[in-house]
Amino acid sequence: MDWLSTLTAGGLVQQFIVGLSRSTILFIVSSGLSLVLGVLRIPNVAHGSLYMLGAFLCFSIASLFDNSSMGFWIGLALAPFCVAFVSLVAERTLFSRLYDREHLMLLLFTFALMLLCRDAVKIIWGSEYRSLAPPVALQGSFSVFGMLLPKYNLFLLGLGPFVAVGLWFLTQKTKIGKIARAAAVDRDMVGAVGINVSWVFAFVFVIGCFLAGLGGALVAPTQNINQGMDHTLIMEAFLIVIIGGLGNVWGALLGALIFGLTDSMGILVWPQFSIVFPYAVVVIVLIFRPTGLLKSTW
Amino acid sequence: MKRSLISIFALFISAVIVVWSVPVQAADEIKVGIIDTYSGPPSSYALDVLDGFKLAMNKINASGGVLGKKLAYVTRDDKFKVDLGLTSAKELIMRENVNLLVGTINSAVSLAVSDLAKKEKIPFIVTYGKSSNITGAKGHKFVFNMNENTEMIGKAAAIGLSKRPFVKYWIAGDDYEYGHAVADGVWNHLKKIKPDVQLMGQSWWKVGEPDFTPYITSILSAKPDAVIVATGGAGCIPFLKAAKNTGFNEKIPMFMHTATELSTLRPLGLDAPEGVIGTSNYYFYFPETDANKVFVEEFRKAYDRYPSFGSLIGWYTANFIAKAYEKAGKVDAEKFAEALTGLSIDTPIGPLTVGKFDNQLMLPMFMGVTKKVAGYDFLIASEIMTIPAQEIVTTEEEVKKAREQK
Amino acid sequence: MGLSRASSKLVSLSFLFIGLLALSVAPLFLPRFFIYLTALVLLTGLLATSLNLALGFGGMYQFNHSVFYGLGAYGLSLMLIKTSLPPLLGYIVGPVISAIMALIMGIICVRLSKLYFGMLQLSLGSLVWVVIYRWYSFTGGDDGLHGVPIPQLFSSVTGSYYFTLVVTFFCMVILYFIVHSPFGRILQAIRDNPERSASVGIRVRLQQLIALVIAGFFAGVAGGLFVTVEGSAFPDLLSWTLSLELIIMCLLGGWFTFFGPMLGAAIIVCLRALVGGYTEFWTLALAIILMLLIYFLPEGALGFFERIWHGKASASGEVK
Repeated sequence: MDWLSTLTAGGLVQQFIVGLSRSTILFIVSSGLSLVLGVLRIPNVAHGSLYMLGAFLCFSIASLFDNSSMGFWIGLALAPFCVAFVSLVAERTLFSRLYDREHLMLLLFTFALMLLCRDAVKIIWGSEYRSLAPPVALQGSFSVFGMLLPKYNLFLLGLGPFVAVGLWFLTQKTKIGKIARAAAVDRDMVGAVGINVSWVFAFVFVIGCFLAGLGGALVAPTQNINQGMDHTLIMEAFLIVIIGGLGNVWGALLGALIFGLTDSMGILVWPQFSIVFPYAVVVIVLIFRPTGLLKSTW
Repeated sequence: MKRSLISIFALFISAVIVVWSVPVQAADEIKVGIIDTYSGPPSSYALDVLDGFKLAMNKINASGGVLGKKLAYVTRDDKFKVDLGLTSAKELIMRENVNLLVGTINSAVSLAVSDLAKKEKIPFIVTYGKSSNITGAKGHKFVFNMNENTEMIGKAAAIGLSKRPFVKYWIAGDDYEYGHAVADGVWNHLKKIKPDVQLMGQSWWKVGEPDFTPYITSILSAKPDAVIVATGGAGCIPFLKAAKNTGFNEKIPMFMHTATELSTLRPLGLDAPEGVIGTSNYYFYFPETDANKVFVEEFRKAYDRYPSFGSLIGWYTANFIAKAYEKAGKVDAEKFAEALTGLSIDTPIGPLTVGKFDNQLMLPMFMGVTKKVAGYDFLIASEIMTIPAQEIVTTEEEVKKAREQK
Repeated sequence: MGLSRASSKLVSLSFLFIGLLALSVAPLFLPRFFIYLTALVLLTGLLATSLNLALGFGGMYQFNHSVFYGLGAYGLSLMLIKTSLPPLLGYIVGPVISAIMALIMGIICVRLSKLYFGMLQLSLGSLVWVVIYRWYSFTGGDDGLHGVPIPQLFSSVTGSYYFTLVVTFFCMVILYFIVHSPFGRILQAIRDNPERSASVGIRVRLQQLIALVIAGFFAGVAGGLFVTVEGSAFPDLLSWTLSLELIIMCLLGGWFTFFGPMLGAAIIVCLRALVGGYTEFWTLALAIILMLLIYFLPEGALGFFERIWHGKASASGEVK
């Protein structure tokens, strides 16, 4: 095997760091999915579409500013809010009437929404590939001990903990977070104490979709922005949520780490068959722990 | 409740109306059925082909048409899906009564439709499917390939790369038929021409892989002399982008088949990496012949953009169709197929001939290196080296061998 | 009540008879393309009906049904291409492979309920898809298998149509009897109340597993028919988007009715072939149909008509 000779400590660390930064994106997106799934019981297939929407919006906003570095930062800041707004409208007009339906109906409904988003993106942005440059400060890479660490990936890596802590704070420490957690367990009870459950749900849904938009805006400079983005992501995000435990945000973190790291380490160890690694890990986890690694919320 | 029922009913009725409205068949028309991917990312290639086809078709019709008949076309969208492509092909043959089929960018659809064409005895001209099986192992009398195939890419790249000083190679690519076929093609031929080359390792990622950074960093840590990148349409652009972001192109030279093609470089704008070695069958700025200048001028006038290789394919496909019918003397599938085999026409890149024994168009290949040039808002190829068609086409023995093996 | 029931049964039987008669003489009148389209409708209808056995009658979230369809198609194609065994054997081998895979996936999934079941099946299905998609030397990889040597007798459009019609008819009869057998009733009892079923001594998991295997088997039969009609097998047949489309067919036709999925398949296949080829916006049309359906017709078209027919004035909320 040739790869053994090329395997170095530096290479391992480098691959590990890149894998971690990939996990960050996966965590941001799948935690949103998990949140919505846990509290609202909606398996949101359209989550990937919102992620795609985030990337496209970030691209468009940045191009309003001639693709300058400032443009990217503005795009990154605004795109998630635009996505959140779209999701708020969708939740209030469409989803809020369907909460008492069974999961399958909700799943199919979000599938319809995914199809709708795909065609909407096609109509608005056309089907050409779009491309967005990272801001000048984050272009290129650092060279440390002969390792090549792309600056943008380090930036993503630095951002991950903030999102995780923010989510933790939101769900554990704020009042609305506590209500949402209670509603996840027993929505009728929460309603009975006089809390408007419908708006709590809307809030959680919007937060989840905001995270999808944020993930999309963050990956925009690292990949080409196209109509297939939703398709690849949604499957991975669902698998992560399942191995982590449905509705458990920490499970999403664990799942994202497992998924991202097996992916990137697999590439280093056995590049020809790296495609199989993450799927195989998912199947192994599910055979031994069919309801995910951490406790699911339902 | 009632309203939704009515709407479903209305949809059903409209479907039935579409079913029964038999298409109008003009007697003085040669009808070409085009199946291609007009939605999703590959549609930009398909639209280039279609625009080139229309340009040539309008010119042919303006000067009297073919055999006194007008050339006309209908399109169907296969959405990059085999089942939809097959249904569309059957609909075009059985309901629209097209005289021949043209398409598609998806190799799997091309192979499936080719099999149908063989059964139905309808000529099928492949425009952008690059599998060498189309005219190789699965070739037959009625199928023609108008673009380069994976074998040709492999041979051309091997010839070009053998002239460079690289010894230790790494292969990376999209994990699907096209990626592996290109990689195997390049590597097998390179090994033949230059036996001292070494393969250090390989990386394969899934089609549509969003982030190439982990792959790139792992290749960098192996430090090969050069990398052969075998990505298809959808992977090229993000890979080049990741290469630029990580500074990969400055550290290790890399070869990618379509890297210098306009369809790849235009969407990247000035974000494309410089110094990437790529092959293409056509540049609008090369060869600098009058025929090419005229073609570029006409295309720009009609569509307000530069023609890509796809546009040229569409253009000469229409011209080949017209010439073949004229040679056949009548509108007949069998006669047409016989006439098109071995036919030559003049094109912006010189005279081109359809292969006699495999119906594969013999195309020259140009190898260049990406470079920023003032006056264009995207990168173009420089240091262009021409690899003549005779050196890269599949030989008769190779075709025979491939067809016996199945 | 008994009388009206008997008469309604008579009416449906005569409808069925007229329908069959029309279908069997159709090739004499209809253009070739519509014969082909009808064959496609029939086999997709069989596929949707087999899904509905697990989904509508079994209450299991069979999210990756197309895996069994694809395996049936690949099983037949590979047998015809690689071996010289009698071709008709392939029509048994394909479905058996599907049934075995359904058994394996069923054993792993069946201990989970609802959404977990569906999601686990989705990920296992993706693994099967990856194997088919990657195994170039055996399955032809992403290019798929084309020009499958179908027996001469059913390789023409009409031949494949009649073959599809006969096979679909017999499979539908078998499925009908399965649904209306004691086993079918047990399955529906489990769907409606698994706890109560378990407490009266029904081995819930076993019954569900049997249903999954039967559904997988008939999906494999449909896969074989697809190869007969199209002459190709390719990885798209196993994709999860196709599986979701199948669920839409069941929903559209009505998943508490036996013939609903067939109707749903007819509508979707026709629309897909006609709208899909002409416009770019087929997905948009599908999305709108689906949304309208979920809002206004959750029990499906046939379910709606049946309710009108039987004069049941129950609310749509009964769907659970």
